[in-house]
Formats: sequence, structure tokens, C-alpha cells
Amino acid sequence: MATHEAALLRHEHAAHAPAATGVWSWITTVDHKRIGILYGVSALAFFAIGGIEALIIRLQLARPNATVVSAETFNALFTMHGTTMVFLAIMPFSSAFFNYMIPLMIGARDVAFPRLNALSYWIFLLGGLFLNASFLVGAPPNGGWFGYTSLTLRQYSPGLNIDFWLLGVQVLGVSSVMAGVNFIATILNMRAPGLTLMRMPVFVWMSLVVQFLIVLAFPPITIGLVFLMFDRFFGTHFYDVAAGGNVLLWQHLFWIFGHPEVYILVLPAFGIVSEVLPTFARKPLFGSPVVIYSGILIGFFGFGVWAHHMFAAGMGPVADAAFSIGTMLIAIPTGVKIFNWLATLWGGSIRPTVAFHYAAGLVALFTVGGLSGIMHASPPVDLQQTDTYFVVAHFHYVLIGGSLFGLLAGAYYWWPKITGRFLDERLGRVQFWLLVVGFNLTFFPQHYLGAIGMPRRIYTYGPGRGWEFWNLMSTVGAMGIGLSVLIFLVNAARSLRHGAVAPADPWDGRTLEWRTSSPPPVHNFDAIPPVYGRDTFWREKYGDSRGRKPTPLPPRPDPHGIHMPAPSFWPLVTALGIVITAAGALTHLAVVVLGAVVVLVGGWAFALEHHRNPAHVDQVGNLGVDHRKLAMWVFLGSECFFFGTMIATYLAYKGHDKVGPHPHEILNIPLTTISTFDLLMSSLLMVLALHAVQRGDRRQARLWLFGTAFFGLIFLGFQAWEFTAFVHEGLTLQQNLFGSTFFVLTGFHGGHVALGVALLVTLGILDLRGQLAVQDAPKVEVVGLYWHFVDVVWIVIFTVVYLIP
Amino acid sequence: MSTHGHPTPHAQGQAATEAHDSHASVATYVRVALILTAVTALEVGVIYIRLLTPIVVPLLLVMATAKFVLVVMFFMHLRYDPRPLAAVFVGPLIVATLLALVVIILVGTLPALQR
Repeated sequence: MATHEAALLRHEHAAHAPAATGVWSWITTVDHKRIGILYGVSALAFFAIGGIEALIIRLQLARPNATVVSAETFNALFTMHGTTMVFLAIMPFSSAFFNYMIPLMIGARDVAFPRLNALSYWIFLLGGLFLNASFLVGAPPNGGWFGYTSLTLRQYSPGLNIDFWLLGVQVLGVSSVMAGVNFIATILNMRAPGLTLMRMPVFVWMSLVVQFLIVLAFPPITIGLVFLMFDRFFGTHFYDVAAGGNVLLWQHLFWIFGHPEVYILVLPAFGIVSEVLPTFARKPLFGSPVVIYSGILIGFFGFGVWAHHMFAAGMGPVADAAFSIGTMLIAIPTGVKIFNWLATLWGGSIRPTVAFHYAAGLVALFTVGGLSGIMHASPPVDLQQTDTYFVVAHFHYVLIGGSLFGLLAGAYYWWPKITGRFLDERLGRVQFWLLVVGFNLTFFPQHYLGAIGMPRRIYTYGPGRGWEFWNLMSTVGAMGIGLSVLIFLVNAARSLRHGAVAPADPWDGRTLEWRTSSPPPVHNFDAIPPVYGRDTFWREKYGDSRGRKPTPLPPRPDPHGIHMPAPSFWPLVTALGIVITAAGALTHLAVVVLGAVVVLVGGWAFALEHHRNPAHVDQVGNLGVDHRKLAMWVFLGSECFFFGTMIATYLAYKGHDKVGPHPHEILNIPLTTISTFDLLMSSLLMVLALHAVQRGDRRQARLWLFGTAFFGLIFLGFQAWEFTAFVHEGLTLQQNLFGSTFFVLTGFHGGHVALGVALLVTLGILDLRGQLAVQDAPKVEVVGLYWHFVDVVWIVIFTVVYLIP
Repeated sequence: MSTHGHPTPHAQGQAATEAHDSHASVATYVRVALILTAVTALEVGVIYIRLLTPIVVPLLLVMATAKFVLVVMFFMHLRYDPRPLAAVFVGPLIVATLLALVVIILVGTLPALQR
């Protein structure tokens, strides 16, 4: 064992060695910078695909009665364009910057969980390829990126098209939530000495808000997709109106995710602009705490305004009024940011680089999208605009004028840091102006087209409606956008070969990433830099507002050397297993089983790969807690949304069944009381197990760990018995709404219990092999937290399903 | 990965013991388990008492909340852990509960009232 540990340490001491090269080094990389580059390149490729889809859409609409593509193909094109741009282009572009920049900006050597980071990336990439593979088998998704039911139910969309979409988006959601948990733990727990929360760069703050939005907003859409999957695959009734279901449930679940998703897409760009403008105005960001608080408020309000997407659905005046007021309120923190950026520029010594151009472009163009957004907050106005091209214009001003311009500002700003070379500024200016003209020519006329009645998602139109000229102009503008993107690609390719070499601090930057070389070494910093205040690097160079420089703190070299995480191919294997499982759902049960086996093997190896690695023992960070414990609590917060959505659905549908059996006719309360008692007592055994591991009492630890797992198995046995009895009494998934909601809710809870049992047995086996020592207590505690959470979820289910009449 | 070096086994043991000492004792855990058992028995009991029918739903919700809080505070140690840990769990829990209530009203109650 000692030899093995020494070998691991030797490997991790290789931080100062030159970075490994070759394809295998990229496949097995867990370096946040490389993963950031992988995200960036993949996002660019998907962006090109989504862009080509957009250009075909525009060609089809350039003239009346055009026949470039059929109606069916058009449906697939706008569905995949939206899905691709949201999930596979803009989000991963932001992830590229999260990955590359956050550890550098907070003075960390990597993220909290480097292998989980790699797993997130591979799941994203393979999930994106899975979605696009639908084109190869002739079944591209065609129900819109919003996938409204009933259109997406089996009887109206019988092919594999929607199946590809719902499975692909679920896979991508897994990737996003994993990454979100990882970055929250990284930002909260791995900051350099002196980097308090309010000293963090605004980009890091906005990234933190976005990660919370991701981990909390994805579970509702995941549950919505699970319901849709069960309706399509197993004949349940979640969206079946004839059986008492409600199609509005889908709209609510989709937009509870969909509206925060807008902020997931745009807040990273706001963060980038908040870094770029001060750098090129040579002034601190005006009112930076207010910009931070505004970002937090936007994130918070973002969860309370979803139903403004549903004014046309007929929710009634009270709901309309409430969501209208909420939507208007959210304009306030957004407007605050705009004014703070303008105030930052006021009186600044401005250097109009291309990065600055894009940042300033965002301020102008996003404002246009923001203002049309406020118009949609008014239900009567919204009723006129909904499902017209006015809305298309609005959200493209938000997502191109906001997100894309911000991301391009980031690309020009951080390119020298990432590649060590400059992009060509002259070519960059040509690209910028071409994009500004092309973008406005494409989308500004669409406001007018919408106002005069052109609906969204129509594949063609007849002449004589006054739509021809502006549609043609819109298409010409789209070609301009395409050309602009092409120029960016040429610029990037030229820079990599012939670009001027960039120094460490090419823009006279303000934050920590400019303190290290361009590109940074594998270990980021030779010594973790101390932080003296906001804009710490600027203070080091020029002092504070009175010119007083901080007294340099002595460097704090790592006492045991620098340990960088070892490469691993298990993230790729595990990700492959997930996508094989998804593919199996479309083909054959055997493929599902194969995928599940690969996930199990990959997950097992992934979990135990570094079990005895001493470099992984101490993971206590800024908050005084272990990274793993913090991450688990964040994940449990996400799980609150997961189970909250399912329980809300159960209660919303309670009593809506058209046929029996009904709950009071079938639920066995005495039996369930016993299984509830069993699960509660398992929690007691779990804390005793942790107590024993912390004391180093192996015999007791083994007893309580296996005891907890045994109690978990008893609970699962009760559940299996109950399910079997219900089926014999005529209650199945397909029987009625109660059967659908009951089996899915309790089944998913049972799945969580089964996973918990597997984790407990794994710990028990480690203990039997003498590999569960005192220093492994955090692992037991993390598994314990999961187990107790499963317990508290059952406390709620027991009450709302079994006891409440 | 570690950015803090490697503690010695002795230090690890000490740290674990300190962490353990800041948590509850075994006696406390057993008391909590007994309370959970008693409240569960009460929950089941009240649904059979006709006199309590008008208030049985709020009563059940209060008892379930009490059990939930007990497990989270003691078994999950939130009572003893730094506040940020509570924030990353309780914040989402509250928002999720509010959203669930709104969804229940908008999907379940309102359409029924409008019919």
C-alpha cells in the first residue's frame, strides 16, 4: 500500500513537468484549463451546426412560398436550432469560461472535483452527439425546443424524434447539474487567502449565481421530461387530459426551468462585461457590490416569473397579475446593471479594443431586448405579441445581443491568456461591425413583422401580406452574421499560428488570472497569491484609490509540494455508459442493460480510483468544511426541487382520477407505518456508523454500516411487496392518474434508497478490506447525508401520500 | 486534490475526533430516534380519531415538519455545522416548497375552481 501511495504522490508531484501531449492526454485530462478548451471547441462546433440550421430557416423564409425545405424539415430545423443554441452552444461557451477562468480568478489550482468536471464535459459532448445523431437516423426532434404537450405525446408525435429530444435533454441536464455542484463547491471553498466573497470578481459572482440557478432549475424540467418519457414509453397519464391530467403541468415545469435558463444564458455574459469594461476604462466597476446584489436578485426573481411565458394559456386574472408584477420587478436589478456599466465608462480612460467593442455592444443591444421584455410583462400586450415574430426578435436581442456579445467580449479578452497569442484586432473590428449590422438587420425588422401579424414557426407564407421585404432583409442580415462568425474562425486559426505573442498581463488587468503566465502552467500559480482587496492585482501594481500599495505578504509555498490531480479515463467510460443507456431506450432493453453495466463499472472505478490517495484526504476549504460535504449539501438542495416537483404533481392531481382504485381504497397504512419505522431506524444506525468510523472502531462501523444497508433492503422489500399487491388489486402505472403519480413518486424514492444501499455496501466492503480508516470519515458522512435525506423525503411522502385523507 | 498538504494520521484522527465531538452524543441520537418513533405513532393515531378530523391535515403537516427538522438538525448535523451549509440546503428547500405550492394551486386547485 505504501508503495502505491508513493507512486500516486510521485505522479501528482509532476505538476512542474511540461504538460502532457497527444490525444490520450486530452481524453484523460482532468485539468480545468484543458476541459475549458474542450468545452469551447465543442461549443463552437455545435454553434456552427446551430448556425447552419438558422441559415437554412432564413433561406426558406426569404421569399413567399419558398421550397428550400419541407414543412417537416423546417419543424426539425427550428427545434434543433433552439435546442442546440441553448444547451450545446451558449451554455457550454459559458462553461468554457467557468472552467478556464474561475480557478485562476479565485487563486485555486483546479476545481474542487477535477474528475467530476471531466465527467460533466464528456456527458455534455456525448449527449450533444446523441441529440444530433437523430439527423443520421432520420428522426430529428421536431416539437420545438419547448416540447409542449400534447403535441409531444406518442399519439401526435409517434416517431423517435421526440424520444431523442427528451432523452438528450435529460442527459445534458445531468452534465449541467454535476458541473453546477462542482463550481459552487469550488467558488465557496477554494478561494485564495484574503479573497472574501465580496472581493471576488463579478464574473465569479455571476458564475456562482448561475450555478445555483442550474442546480435548482434543472430538476423541474428533468421531472417534466420523466413524466413525458413515462407517458410515451409506459402509457402513464401525466399529460393525458382524458384521464384527468393537465397539459399545463408541462408548461409550468418547462418554464420553471425555462425562465431561469434565460439568466443561466445571460448572467455569465454580464459577468464578463463587468470585467472587460473596468479593464478598458481603467476604472473600478462602478458600485460593484450593487452589481453583485443585482445579479443575486435577478437569480432569485428568476424563479418567480416563469408563468409570464403562459399568459396566453388562460391562467386567470390573479395569476396573470402576480406574474406580471414579478416580471416588471425583475427589470429593476437588470436596469441597475446597465446604469452601473455606463457609470463605469463615464470619465474613464477608454481603450477601444475589440473586447471593449463587444462589451459596449452588449450594453446597447441587450437593452433593446430588455425593453421589449418589459412589454411582454403586460398580459394584454403579451397576448398580441405571443407566438409572433416580435417574440423571436425579443429573445434574439437577449441571447445574441446579450449572451453572444458578452461571450465574444470574453473570447477576445481572455484569448491571449488561454493561447498565449493575440487575436488580430483589425480583423476583430471588421467582425464586430459585420455582426452588429447583420444582427440588427436580421432581428430588428422581426419586431415589425411580428407586430403586423407574422406568426412564429410557420415554414412559409403567401405573398401580399407585407412580409416579403423585411423577411428578405432578415435573411440578408443572417448571412452577415454567418460571415462574421466565419471571420472569427479565420482570426482564431490565424492567431494560433501567427498571432503576436501575448505577455502575462496584456491588457493591464485587474484580477488574479493576469498574475500568471499566458498560457498558465499546469498548476496555475507557483505559490497561491494572497488577495489584498477587490481588483487585487491592480492594487498590487498601482495601489488603492490613494495610490497606497499593499505591503506584500510573504509567499506561502505549499509545504508538501504542489499536488495536481492524476488523469483518468473513467469519466469518459461512465459518460459513455449514460449515453449507451439513453440509446438503449430507443432500441432494445439489452442495450439499456449494457449501458447500465458500463455506468456501474465506470462509476465504481471512478469512486474508488483515488480512495487510498493521501492527496485526497484533506479537502477542507474556506468555509471550514470538506468540499465533498459542501457539494453533497448543494446536491441535496437540488434534490429538494427534484422531489418537490414530484410531490407537487402528486398533490395537484390528487382526486382528479376518472377511474379507481382510489388511494383510500388501496393504501395499506399499517404496513407502510412499519416500513417507515424501519427507514427512520436506519438513520439511527447510519449516525452510529459514522460515530464508529470517527472513533476508529472498525467492528462497530462494519456492524452499523451493514445494519443500515440491511434496513434499507427491508424497506425496499416492503415496497416491492406493496407494488406487487397493488398490481394484483388493479392499480398499475397505466390504470389511472393516481397509479401514474404514486408509482413514479415512490418508485423514484425507492431508486434513491437502492442507490444508498449500494453506497453503504461499498463502504462496508472497503471496511472488510481494511480500507475504511478514521481519515475516511468524511466519505461516510457524505453517504450518511444522502441516506438521511432519503429518509426525510420519505417522512414527507408518508404524510402526503398515505396519511392525509 | 489537496492544496493543503497531508495531515499525519494522528492529526487526521484528532481532527475527526474534534469534528465528532462537535456533533451530538450517541444518547442524543437515540433520544431523537425515540421521538421520531413516538411522533410517527402519533401521526398514524390521529388519522383514526374522528374528533380531530377538521384539523388533521395541519396536524399531520406540523408533525411531519417536526420529524423532518429533527433528522436534518441532529442526524444530518446541520445544528452543529457552519451556517453556509444550512444556507445551501434551507434556501433551496424554502424556494422549492413555495414553487410546489404555486404549482399545486395553478395546476390542481385553480382549474378545478374554474370548472
